Amino acid sequence: MKIIAVASGKGGVGKTTLCANLGMALRNRGHEVLSVDMDPQNGLGLHFSLPINHINGMSRATLSSDDWNSAIWQSELGDLILPYGLINDDDRIIFEDKLSNEPGLLLKQLKLLNLPDDIFVILDTPPGASCYQQQALAVCHVVVLPLLADAASFSTAIKYISKIQKECSQRTDFTGHMVVVNQVDRSRQLNSDMTDLIRESTGSKYFSIIHQDQSVAEAAAYGQAVFAFDSECSGAHDIEYATEILKELIGNARVVQ
Amino acid sequence: MINLYSHISFYQRCLEIYKIFSDRQVLLSKIVRLTLLLTSVVIFLLLISIPLDLQQQFILGLSSFVAVLVLRRKAWGRLEVIAMIAVSVISSFRYMYWRLTETVGFSGWLDSFFGWGLVAAEFYALCVLILGYVQTAFPLERRQDALPEKIEQWPMVDIFIPTYNEPLSIVQATVFAAQGLDWPADKFNVYVLDDGRRPEFKEFCTAAGVGYLSRDNNLHYKAGNLNSALMKTSGEYVAIFDCDHIPTRSFLQLSMGSFLRDAKLAMLQTPHFFYSPDPFERNLDTFRKVPNEGDLFYGLVQDGNDLWNAAFFCGSCAVIRREPLLEVGGIATETVTEDAHTALKLSRLGYNTAYLGIPMSAGLATESLSGHINQRIRWARGMAQIFRVDNPLLGRGLNFGQRLCYLNAMLHFFYGLPRLVFLTAPMAFLFFQAEVFQASALMVLAYALPHIFISNITNSKIQKKYRHSFWNEVYETVLAWYLVAPVVRALVTPKAGAFNVTAKGGFVGEDFYDWKIARPYAILMALNVLCVLAGVVLLVRGDVSTTTTFINLVWVFYNIFILAASMGVAHEKSQASAATSVRAVIPASLVFANGKSWACETHSFSIKGVGLTLPRPLDIALGSEVKLALFRGQSECVFPATVIGSGKSIQLEFEDLTLEQERQLTQMTFSRADNWVTTWGRGPEDRLMASLKDIFVHGLKQVVPLFFRASYGYARQVPLRWSAQLKAGSAKATGFFRIPQLNFLRKK
Repeated sequence: MKIIAVASGKGGVGKTTLCANLGMALRNRGHEVLSVDMDPQNGLGLHFSLPINHINGMSRATLSSDDWNSAIWQSELGDLILPYGLINDDDRIIFEDKLSNEPGLLLKQLKLLNLPDDIFVILDTPPGASCYQQQALAVCHVVVLPLLADAASFSTAIKYISKIQKECSQRTDFTGHMVVVNQVDRSRQLNSDMTDLIRESTGSKYFSIIHQDQSVAEAAAYGQAVFAFDSECSGAHDIEYATEILKELIGNARVVQ
Repeated sequence: MINLYSHISFYQRCLEIYKIFSDRQVLLSKIVRLTLLLTSVVIFLLLISIPLDLQQQFILGLSSFVAVLVLRRKAWGRLEVIAMIAVSVISSFRYMYWRLTETVGFSGWLDSFFGWGLVAAEFYALCVLILGYVQTAFPLERRQDALPEKIEQWPMVDIFIPTYNEPLSIVQATVFAAQGLDWPADKFNVYVLDDGRRPEFKEFCTAAGVGYLSRDNNLHYKAGNLNSALMKTSGEYVAIFDCDHIPTRSFLQLSMGSFLRDAKLAMLQTPHFFYSPDPFERNLDTFRKVPNEGDLFYGLVQDGNDLWNAAFFCGSCAVIRREPLLEVGGIATETVTEDAHTALKLSRLGYNTAYLGIPMSAGLATESLSGHINQRIRWARGMAQIFRVDNPLLGRGLNFGQRLCYLNAMLHFFYGLPRLVFLTAPMAFLFFQAEVFQASALMVLAYALPHIFISNITNSKIQKKYRHSFWNEVYETVLAWYLVAPVVRALVTPKAGAFNVTAKGGFVGEDFYDWKIARPYAILMALNVLCVLAGVVLLVRGDVSTTTTFINLVWVFYNIFILAASMGVAHEKSQASAATSVRAVIPASLVFANGKSWACETHSFSIKGVGLTLPRPLDIALGSEVKLALFRGQSECVFPATVIGSGKSIQLEFEDLTLEQERQLTQMTFSRADNWVTTWGRGPEDRLMASLKDIFVHGLKQVVPLFFRASYGYARQVPLRWSAQLKAGSAKATGFFRIPQLNFLRKK
């Protein structure tokens, strides 16, 4: 099991869309993938056409002490999704308390799933510091850090990278992070400059950009992978490229059982 | 065998070998060498002078011919070429010796006139053949030298872009590309040297952030322009680009290392590469299929010169060290080929020159045949002037190899008269029954055929992909008539005459036949056709040697071949667009107005637009506005564009680009480092008979319709419709895409 956390310090940067598309791209390359939604917004499933009234998920399963297996949902196309689940605010607080008090919960539950050795587990996390992010950063092998090409993203990026390094680098099975700048539009000067600035200042070998492309949003609305929606659009090409980089990064991750 | 291709200088190696010999065994080695030399000379003299009867000479010729055919298939490094040259030199000298001793007992003034005329032309051809062997036997194949790790040690370079009357749109791209050179920003300055003193140029230079230099006179034209700029600048090195030679970003990094390694290096030249077809290529439809006139020079001759430390400056795409340049008084102004003359002067002072055969710039070829001829007339005149005022055989400072290389560079341009002699020589016998050979026809064949065949095969082996067999004759025939008078005038009065600027950026609007230019070829053609008739009459009458008549007729038919192709060159084909497109695949993406975008790639680009290959056909209205992103590694630039042609491959035209966008466009397209390397010198190799067939086919295709049109009597007025259709078909074959000009789509 190779665990990828999609995380960032800032909201609205396209985490969930990226998470879904990376998962589908990896499946497209013949890998087994489990996409795990750790965001109370429960939005990841929508990218896979999860019915809107589907209430099962990791939160409900945990609270009712059920196996997470029971919460895994398989889409028509065969994608495996573990949704967050629909719960009320009180239950959410209880679930979050549990996560905060039991740091190894996520890893324990994932191991209980008895997943194949070579499966990719992609974790979608809510923005900012939270118990979800903490759990994700505690188990992941790589972090994918999506950003927007704007000043706010840039200012949080550096801070977040040092946070990743602080929290994950001690683990020997952690391989590193990858920066993805989302919604790049080179015809806008600030956007273009920021993209270059982020690339230079993060200094990461694992870097990719995803261009502003209406097809990415439309694909999400249709519950499709962007490359299935329009294989020639720039969004699809960018996701393919990002997936290659991600695979390169994760290539030498050691597998935990 | 010794590996001469190492970029350690050949001279250093020679020096080492010399040291070994001169150490203890000076005397011995000298004796050995002298003996060897004398023996070879004696053997050589015997080989060329031993008289043989017809049968023996025939056997010798045949065996030499077979030997060369066998050697041609070998690849022993350079050894097989040297062996072929040896056989060729012996065969040719043997022929010339026999020619001068056995065949010139002319009787009567008619025989003497034609006979000696032909002998002189043949002698000239032999000289150029031998000098050519010396020049091209061992191309140095120099590689670039590494620059120091520390960027602080990289030198300061001034980039000069001289211009006189060229349009701003052409100069602009060169300026932007020069600004984008991969070199520390504080270590180079770009200057536009405007001899036209045009305010809009000054304005542009200020806006673009480059220096603008002009002067109050046009004394000595380009040379004077450069010299005036030398006085106003101070960089340690000067890189010179003609205003339509767009450099690639790697130019300085690849060329400057040699200067730092070799402190005596004064000048480094790189190839002139043209991204548009020259008149030969366009009018005969041979672009990228047959090596053009310049390919031999930049592919082989300059590289060969470099071995002898005789690479010369060609006016553009070169770097010169300022100090030695000032030492020789700046760019030479005494002759109209100031470039070659300057290099000669530098060599005389003991400085080194270099040629780096990597295409790192691209320019526009001359647009019309008349322009092309004008340019060559200037080169020929200049070389003849240097021959008179600064003869490389005389004076101090040059080594033997340099003298020979420069001599050949000059003699080469004297081909006008000899070429005309060869094209008319059969007339002597067929019209006047003049005996230009005082020997039997079979004897002539036994001596001349080995000379002709072996030298052709040898040159075909040496010149491979840089010059296909027999094309030399076409290139020379087109120019021959036009070079004779200027060369003779320059030889007699080297100081007279003005410099003519070659027209650039012109545009052949529609197909037409340039009868004015073609007149000499048409006359020569008519004479040769008359020769055929005369030959037939002679054969029928049967009162002269049938063999001699027959030999002359073969010669006449060969002339007709060459003349037909030459006449074809004067058939000017329209250029579909004023902006020439370059075939190139660049990653791109197309952004539509609805916010969607497609990843795709270009198949061609020009300074005005691009052609895109799309993954699937796109239904988009002509005139739609889109954005085009071009990629180069991690960089990406976006340009507003309009769709001017659609389908699976669509054409875009850029509109109202800002100065900054123009700059980005140049840097994303023309100045990409990998642009020309894959095209230049990668053409098909020579195949003797295929090449002969090529010339025949190309000539026929152009000339036969001419007779048709002439017979209907409207040759001058009506442009050829069919050829436009032919061109549409052929554009595909060459892979050369032209953006159609759809002016009506342009918004006002």
